[in-house]
Amino acid sequence: MDDLLAEFVAETREMLAAIEGELVAWEADPADRARLDAIFRFVHTVKGNCGFFDFPRLEQLSHAAESALAEVRAGRRQAGTHLVNAVLAVIDRIVELVSAIEAGEELPASSDERLIAALEPDSEEEFLQAEAGSDSSSGRRTASGTGASRSIRLPVDLLDRLMSGISDMVLARNDLARRLREAGAQPTIDGPFERLSGILNDVREGVTRMRMQRIEHLYNALPRLVRDLSAELGKQVMIDLQGGDVELDREMIEIVRDPLTHIIRNAIDHGIEAPSQRLAAGKREIGLLTIAARQAGNKILIAVSDDGRGLDIDRISAKAVAQGIGTKAEIDALSHDQRLALIFEPGLSTADAVSEISGRGVGMDVVRANIEKVGGAIRVESESGQGSLFVLELPLTLSIIAGLTVECGPHRYAIPRSYIEEIARGRSSAITVEELGDTSFVTFRGKRVPAIALGKVLGDSSPPALKAGVFVFVRLANGDLFALVVDRVLDNEDLVVKPLAPAVMATGVYAGSTLLDDGNPILMLDIPNIAARHQLASPLGTRRVPVAEKVAAEVSEADRVILFTDLSARRRAVRMAAVQRIQSIDIADLAREGDQCRASVDGLILPVVGVDGPLPVEGRIVMLRLGDGAREILYAAREVNDSAALESDPVPLPDDDLLEGTALIDGTITAIVDVHRLFAYDADALPRTRERICRLPEGDNWARGFLGPMLRAAGYRIADGDRDEVVDVIIARDDEPVTETGPAPLIRIRADREPAHPGDTSIYRYDRNALLAALGQRAGG
Amino acid sequence: MSDLYLLVQIAGRRAAIPGALVQSVVEIDQVVPVPLAPPHVAGLAALRSRALTVIDTRAAIGIDPEQFGTEGRAAVVEVDGHGYALLVDEVADVAQAEAVAAKSDATMGPEWDRISPGRIETSIGPAVLIDVAELVMGCTQRRTKAA
Repeated sequence: MDDLLAEFVAETREMLAAIEGELVAWEADPADRARLDAIFRFVHTVKGNCGFFDFPRLEQLSHAAESALAEVRAGRRQAGTHLVNAVLAVIDRIVELVSAIEAGEELPASSDERLIAALEPDSEEEFLQAEAGSDSSSGRRTASGTGASRSIRLPVDLLDRLMSGISDMVLARNDLARRLREAGAQPTIDGPFERLSGILNDVREGVTRMRMQRIEHLYNALPRLVRDLSAELGKQVMIDLQGGDVELDREMIEIVRDPLTHIIRNAIDHGIEAPSQRLAAGKREIGLLTIAARQAGNKILIAVSDDGRGLDIDRISAKAVAQGIGTKAEIDALSHDQRLALIFEPGLSTADAVSEISGRGVGMDVVRANIEKVGGAIRVESESGQGSLFVLELPLTLSIIAGLTVECGPHRYAIPRSYIEEIARGRSSAITVEELGDTSFVTFRGKRVPAIALGKVLGDSSPPALKAGVFVFVRLANGDLFALVVDRVLDNEDLVVKPLAPAVMATGVYAGSTLLDDGNPILMLDIPNIAARHQLASPLGTRRVPVAEKVAAEVSEADRVILFTDLSARRRAVRMAAVQRIQSIDIADLAREGDQCRASVDGLILPVVGVDGPLPVEGRIVMLRLGDGAREILYAAREVNDSAALESDPVPLPDDDLLEGTALIDGTITAIVDVHRLFAYDADALPRTRERICRLPEGDNWARGFLGPMLRAAGYRIADGDRDEVVDVIIARDDEPVTETGPAPLIRIRADREPAHPGDTSIYRYDRNALLAALGQRAGG
Repeated sequence: MSDLYLLVQIAGRRAAIPGALVQSVVEIDQVVPVPLAPPHVAGLAALRSRALTVIDTRAAIGIDPEQFGTEGRAAVVEVDGHGYALLVDEVADVAQAEAVAAKSDATMGPEWDRISPGRIETSIGPAVLIDVAELVMGCTQRRTKAA
């Protein structure tokens, strides 16, 4: 059983154990709202979790129970013994199924239909208490019988106590070590002491590990989740995960998993629009969902942003009034942010249609409750039409940070190592310091960055000359670089960072404190805050890029390339926009027949290019996975080197079909792969599930003569005059009236290079890329 | 039964800290200063495996600590999950309150009024009752907040 599945089973069991009492209480008093909510949340969560896995029966059962309970919560239905029995029977069946899943057995063949039918208000199906009862007891007995052997769950306090006990032991050990040294060498004692010391270090490391996990662990499941959800909803969503190496308390990862899943579901379901709507709004048809984790001060920030339609604040307000969260006057008096925060109120969901994906307004209040339970916070920002941003702030207590200790004046401070790019001595000839206005700049290896003495940051009015110190170059999460000048660099240490008292935090320069091995406290510097206070860099924050900048960023994405070495050891570049990801595949998954090479990846058969030379017999090979939004092609590489900006237009290479041209990148001539031709060239060779048909403007010779061949190359057949033929996509001139399109999407083309008016979504008829992209989007490939 | 109080001297005045809040009384020897922190934050000190924020109680009520000597002892308290060491002139005694805390009729001075809900009577005389949460906030912070 894989990890995720094991976790699902464990979590379901844990929740079941927690609501066991509620079930009994609810049975006694079906009108009890609090119990009802707890049970509702259980079935809702089970339903949500099923989304990860292919358990249609569990999903159906939990969905049915959830629907029935939602009716009761909305006051449209009374909870009677009949409903209680039916819901309990469903929960018992869930237990049974989960037990079977855990044991890896076939799911019991019993039919769920009766159970589901019994949930209906007018159901005649009366559940025999005895039957349900016997089911449940047997189900639960097996439940407690298995499962406990693989792992144990410990309360975090216990780990905390263990951790602080170990810390005390380390301090006592250090003290003892000092005394032993003072007493001189005593072979009979020194040996065993060394051994004790070594064991203690191991134990300490183990205890530390016990609690820490990279957030990557949480990220792993997300691409799949996003892929499945977007496929289900007919949307195109690209996920961008950042900061996977941030370490987080294991407990914290578990706590954040569900809220994060909820927010992602909501973002895809309600936030990101359908491709056609996005194009109409002037956005890229592929929605972007960014999840970034970052350590900021004594907090871990996880930001989930999408570039969808944003939250509809008027509808949220209206719904809040309708739900009785406040009177209209009260809601109107709230600020913009406060009104956005209404989405965290229980019972508020703005979706008109209830979907499988994101539920009925149980989500966000649970999300907030879970985050706040651990002392975290959640906030939302949103701008209509531009997207939303959810920021989860989690406390960093007990997180371990690799830090560098430095000395400034008589005191020591710690700097998180993740920020540190480089360290250089001020006396080195490679360093020049210039004073420009009130700011000092340091030039090092051709880069000129602002520099500030740590002493000055800490309020010393006359710090020593910069040149006398050591330059610690720190890079902020947004890429800005500056130099912090300290007197001396001391050591690398792993630091257990504890939060600081509010009065100390208020200084804005410290992120936490920690005890060094010698037992002395040391302050950890809050690098982003220092940079912001001294305006050394643009203030750090998970800030959404305004739309204007976003467009610029997209342009630059097209002009960025990934540099790689192909199998024949030639230097190649491919435009970043075409690269979906880089993966390595087993040579055994490659099959070559004649000129064609294919590979099986993730259950798909994809064409492979760039494999002209001999292949190694075994091992793995790096593949650049290229995509145009519809099809994918793998480009084999020996290694992927770097990414770079394309500073000039490539010089065309007429004699090579598959190269766009050559360009000077980092001083070397590099050939750029022509992805457009690559995809066009491969279009014929690609197997198609069905031939797709395109209708062109009638009697338009340009369309037949110019567009036709291009469309055929892209795998389309041109519809003949017969109007009755079902087509997949219609291309029409922007001045041509189209009477009936049926279900087929319509692409308008125009003769002018520039759009006729803002909001004009037609495509310039010679804009081959845009046309192919539109075809890919609208005709699903 | 009345509650126990830790009687201390703060800036030469007798004050009482509710005993239930005091985890221990410790000797503070090494304090790591915190540059830029408000004046009442004397620095950080290690107590076993914890880092405590050392609050100079004299500075917290706006008095220059230099005017008063200290024997270097502090009461360890916890406020909002953070550990503090309240550094006082001297720790005198532990006593029971003989009367319930009463709001003083006359003002004890604005700084004292801020950190104290009133005075109590003990076997060794009256003492200013200290509101620990107000004390650790310090006067500087308070002023910035008001501004």
